[in-house]
Amino acid sequence: MKPPPFEYRSAHDSTETVELLTEYGDDAKILAGGQSLVPLMNFRMARPSVLIDINQTQDMTGIREDDGHLVIGAMARQRVLERDPTAGVAVPLLPAALAHTGHTTNRNRGTFGGSLAHADPAAELPALLVAMGGELTVKGPSGTRIVPAEDFFLAPLTTTLAYNEILVSARLPRLPSGTGTAVEELARRHGDFAIVSVMAAVHLDSNGRADLVRLAAGGVDSTPIRLHEAESVLSGGTLDETSIDAAATAAADASHPVDDVHGTASYRRDMVRVLVARAIRSAIANR
Amino acid sequence: MTTTAEPQETKYTGKSQQRIEDPRLLTGHGTYIDDITVPRMIEGAVLRSPVAHARITRIDVSKAAELPGVFAVITGNDLVEFAGEQPVIWSVIPEQRIARAHALATDTVRWVGQGVAAVAAVDRYVAEDALELIEVDYEPLPVVADLEQALAPDAPKLYEDWPDNISGSMTFPAGDADAAFAEADVVVGASFRHHAGYGCSIETRGCIANWDVFAGKLDMWLGTQAPNLARDLLAQVLSLPVDKIRVRTPDLGGGFGLKFDFYPDEIIAAILSRRTKRPVKLLEDRQESFVSSSRARDMRHDFEMALRSDGTIIGLRGTAYAVLGGALGTVGSGPPWASVLACMGPYKIPNQELTLKAVMTNRSPYGSYRGWGMPKANIVHERLIEFAARKLGMSRIDLRRMNFPTPEEFPYFSGAAFTYDSGRYADCLDLATSAVNERGWNVRQREGREAGRSIGIGYGFHTEVGAFGPSRVLNMVGLDHSGFDEVRIRMDSTGKVTVLSGQSAMGQGTHTTYAQLAADGLGVPIEDVTIVTGDTESCPYTGYGTGGSRAATLGGAAIVNASGRLKSKILRIGAELLEANPDDLEISDGRVSVRGAADASVSTADIGYSAYRMLNGRLPESETPTLEEIDVFDPANMTTSYGCTALLVEVDRQTGAVTLLDCLQAHDAGVIINPLLADGQLAGGLAQAFGGGLFEEFVYDEDGQINTASFMDYLLPSATDIPPFHFYHQETPAPHIPGGMKGLGEAGTIAGVSVVASAIDDALSDLGVAVTEFPMTPPRLLELIRAAQSAGVTA
Amino acid sequence: MSDKHTVTVTVTVNGQVYTGDCEPRMTLADFLRHECGLTGTHLGCEHGVCGACTVLLDDVAARSCLTFAVQADGARITTVEGLAEGEQLNTLQKSFQEHHGLQCGFCTSGMLMCATELLRENPNPTETEVREGISGVLCRCTGYDSIVKSVMAAAGDQRDAVSEAGSAR
Ligand SMILES: Cc1cc2nc3c(=O)[nH]c(=O)nc-3n(C[C@H](O)[C@H](O)[C@H](O)COP(=O)(O)OP(=O)(O)OC[C@H]3O[C@@H](n4cnc5c(N)ncnc54)[C@H](O)[C@@H]3O)c2cc1C
Ligand code: FES
Ligand code: FES
Repeated sequence: MKPPPFEYRSAHDSTETVELLTEYGDDAKILAGGQSLVPLMNFRMARPSVLIDINQTQDMTGIREDDGHLVIGAMARQRVLERDPTAGVAVPLLPAALAHTGHTTNRNRGTFGGSLAHADPAAELPALLVAMGGELTVKGPSGTRIVPAEDFFLAPLTTTLAYNEILVSARLPRLPSGTGTAVEELARRHGDFAIVSVMAAVHLDSNGRADLVRLAAGGVDSTPIRLHEAESVLSGGTLDETSIDAAATAAADASHPVDDVHGTASYRRDMVRVLVARAIRSAIANR
Repeated sequence: MTTTAEPQETKYTGKSQQRIEDPRLLTGHGTYIDDITVPRMIEGAVLRSPVAHARITRIDVSKAAELPGVFAVITGNDLVEFAGEQPVIWSVIPEQRIARAHALATDTVRWVGQGVAAVAAVDRYVAEDALELIEVDYEPLPVVADLEQALAPDAPKLYEDWPDNISGSMTFPAGDADAAFAEADVVVGASFRHHAGYGCSIETRGCIANWDVFAGKLDMWLGTQAPNLARDLLAQVLSLPVDKIRVRTPDLGGGFGLKFDFYPDEIIAAILSRRTKRPVKLLEDRQESFVSSSRARDMRHDFEMALRSDGTIIGLRGTAYAVLGGALGTVGSGPPWASVLACMGPYKIPNQELTLKAVMTNRSPYGSYRGWGMPKANIVHERLIEFAARKLGMSRIDLRRMNFPTPEEFPYFSGAAFTYDSGRYADCLDLATSAVNERGWNVRQREGREAGRSIGIGYGFHTEVGAFGPSRVLNMVGLDHSGFDEVRIRMDSTGKVTVLSGQSAMGQGTHTTYAQLAADGLGVPIEDVTIVTGDTESCPYTGYGTGGSRAATLGGAAIVNASGRLKSKILRIGAELLEANPDDLEISDGRVSVRGAADASVSTADIGYSAYRMLNGRLPESETPTLEEIDVFDPANMTTSYGCTALLVEVDRQTGAVTLLDCLQAHDAGVIINPLLADGQLAGGLAQAFGGGLFEEFVYDEDGQINTASFMDYLLPSATDIPPFHFYHQETPAPHIPGGMKGLGEAGTIAGVSVVASAIDDALSDLGVAVTEFPMTPPRLLELIRAAQSAGVTA
Repeated sequence: MSDKHTVTVTVTVNGQVYTGDCEPRMTLADFLRHECGLTGTHLGCEHGVCGACTVLLDDVAARSCLTFAVQADGARITTVEGLAEGEQLNTLQKSFQEHHGLQCGFCTSGMLMCATELLRENPNPTETEVREGISGVLCRCTGYDSIVKSVMAAAGDQRDAVSEAGSAR
């Protein structure tokens, strides 16, 4: 399990990365935390002829608040993000989701942007971005563009990134205070990719009616999906067992999972229903 | 029969002695196979078949051979020039068709992962580059992907000249099973399926072969549990005399039976070495391991049990199907056979009819994994007795107890093959149930249930056959190998002790336990004892190898015997020096003294000096110089240790997920040499069984492809999946083993699978769920829950 | 091979500086094992799951099978060989010996490095935190319980040592 040969380049910043990507074209790949790319290379399932290492870059590591948003640099290490007090307060889903993302040693190296760019449909961070309606900042030869999370992920391991574009950061709206959030995940073992994961955020108005509902699921389609139908079942109403059940059923109906060794499609769809209901209940309890 | 010789001094035996292996291993100073570099060494890699069944129509290695850094590329045709077929040492079924294969396929591949070609190159990176340049054309043949397909009447055949895919079949009768079932008040039965998994040591397999034709020697470093066997088999396959072969074993990063078996890689490395005139290291990598290390556990047992209404078991019958691979591995159908022989477990069952059918499929060869068939035997008797308890409305504890042989009934013949040496089964059961109470599990269960949680308590009783085994008996049942163990124990000229053993150290702490036994046997400080293993040139021959709980029992017994005789000689020399009668002397802490007069003493250093250097006037005329004893111990019978395991679990009825909360085991392995290490063996085995019970599975598709060939998909349990453990020991010495040890290396793996099922059933007792398939994954369990729920609704 | 593109890598491992030439594709694990002769770091899967290859890379625990040596150029690395204090086992190592936290020793290097970081970040962990903390290192021998006990006891011993040092002052 030794990787095939490649040429190694280390980029100083995001601009140089884009230049190198443009220079080398399709054969080049960005190397961030290496927690997904290097295993693929060791299995010889990925064989880039050039690796552009962005671990020495300094312009993509920041985690900061900006105008009601949390802005996270692509090179922020998952473990740093997990323990960042600003991030945890602004988006409590972050530490909760990251606790399910591999093991501490993987998160020590693995990056926020790497997980998004890798676009595993069962990964937690992409589902979180989708739930939160996050926006991704992508840099290419002709400048930057902003991509809403729901448009960023196209298929398993496929995003809208062009060969010479790099993900530099993402913005997540800060949730109003009093919002309850929850991550419910079913995985075979602690730290495994999810069979199904559900991200939920719920805010109730003074009459106890939901005025903010955000739901997304991972592992149930070729990309993480926002559960719009389920959200609309709940929005504006009181959250009782009937409406929660209806939302959970709507969520299950909206998912299109496939079979794999850890669960059949129908099992996964069932689990969407179970986990969505649990996530809504715990989000309400966590307010 | 030999009488039990209790070690006279037990300064160490029975104590939780810290391991002498540890400081080295804790500092990174262990030496595992991949840590060894020999001069001029190059590295190999094997090209493995990507398809399960095909004819090879063309292999072109020219591009690979041209790659800079490549020394040699070989195919099956190159290999057969020097090597015969891979050996099969167990032929347990009379007239069995034994399908053998060469280390590299010559014309047909019969499983994904079968070796097709091999490369030796400057390093592993280049060797893998070269593999990608080898071109092979495969002409696909119909695939027999699983057991049911193999048994189908119109099944494609793996071997054209066979009538079907059955390698062999045999039945063990006892009493009159048909009559018993005819007169039974209650019959319970089920089809039990344990899917495939493997030993999966964290260190993969590997070897370094140096076949130097000019020196006339094959020198091999091999990560094996059976160096002597490996040497004999290398000789057999390569037509070399044994004296020209040396096998050395480095530290083993776990063995678990997987490293008992003899693999094609050993032969491939040897041939590559001969070709390149260089030592060749050949390591299996993790990805390969799923298809190139012994597949195990893969069996179906269709069994039923007959009882009287009072709970007395009167019959057991059924058929066990072994899902063998495309060729037989080293141990043939040995483990499936053991699963049949042991499937009555600890219960007295007068009438039995037990059938084994060994079936070929396009899967990788079946082989050894700790437990060696017995985990599935345990599933049969422990599941059936619980189903019977349910049907009879009896307590599952009482039903077990009433069917045990009583202590007076030992030695007890179990019906098919094994005679259990001794035991207090009911006491052990009570020890476990009272521990469950003490730990408050019943309260936890009740309170949990009141809070709406599905908490279950599982029980399992197991027997473990160890001290494997009397050589002639093993030969008689079809083993082309022996079962004795030989030990050489030597005191040197400075009075320090070296014990040489043919057993392999693979993490179980053999060096420590042997040092404990030798130190006590001789009356010397443990620091004065050195254990040497792992070199066929300097260490004695052991029959079989390290497996079947042989190390502590047989090697231990040999140490007890040999050190006893050596001690007598030491005392005779001491008597000469002290001008005393040997019978009045004792030895402790390395000093020989007149009993009751400690000031009149000599040290073992004085004794050593007298036996090796200054003989004149010090060594009695009647004694030969040097201090060395050899003992060859071939047991009169195997040993049977046993235990009762209890497991506390929680089931999530909505997802089918199972959480293991706590685990305890009451255990009797005769005399325990080192409780700390004994508990470690039990815990490690249980964790492996929980892996098999809940997580680990080779999943195949209809083309015979394995879909779980990585650690992302083949799920070893991690620290968050395994519960805490609590052990309770009871000691009933093995009457026929000097030292009284019974062995416990496989206890955990045998006990731990069925107990998972028992606990899940208990958590879902209101639904009447009956778990019969392993691993019981969340989707599978949810299906059972749903089925039980809808049955409940319609009923 | 001479015609291959190689890079020169300099790392400081356990205080010792090592320099070697290698292909960019050489993993840090292989560099440590073959170029530095530090074979205490083990490879159990080479795809980031088993944790046997864990080292401290600039003080942060990392899988050395998922890092290329060239990426570690200039870095400070601690491997299992760097844990002992002189000729004495350190507190954590001693605790593993006392509580039988190892059998074959193959996962042990990774366990120790992972636990070293865990105890540095959380000197007072609960059993659950220890289990989660080491869940990324697979052990096939022990069943983990003895490892958990070893780490918990080491945490206790380290606390005792700190408070003793404190009261001595
Ligand atoms: C044992 C183990 C368990 C894991 N468990 C989980 C889990 O439960 N959940 C989960 O979500 N993940 C899991 N992962 C994956 C982990 O989270 C990875 O860190 C993540 O998927 C990729 O991030 P990285 O920084 O390591 O990226 P890399 O592996 O370096 O790169 C991944 C891909 O993204 C590209 N890329 C990286 N950064 C950028 C960028 N800024 N712009 C454009 N392209 C970029 C690379 O070219 C590559 O194609 C696990 C990994 C391991 C080894
Ligand atoms: S060898 Fe690196 S994680 Fe397994
Ligand atoms: S001690 Fe052997 S793998 Fe952990």
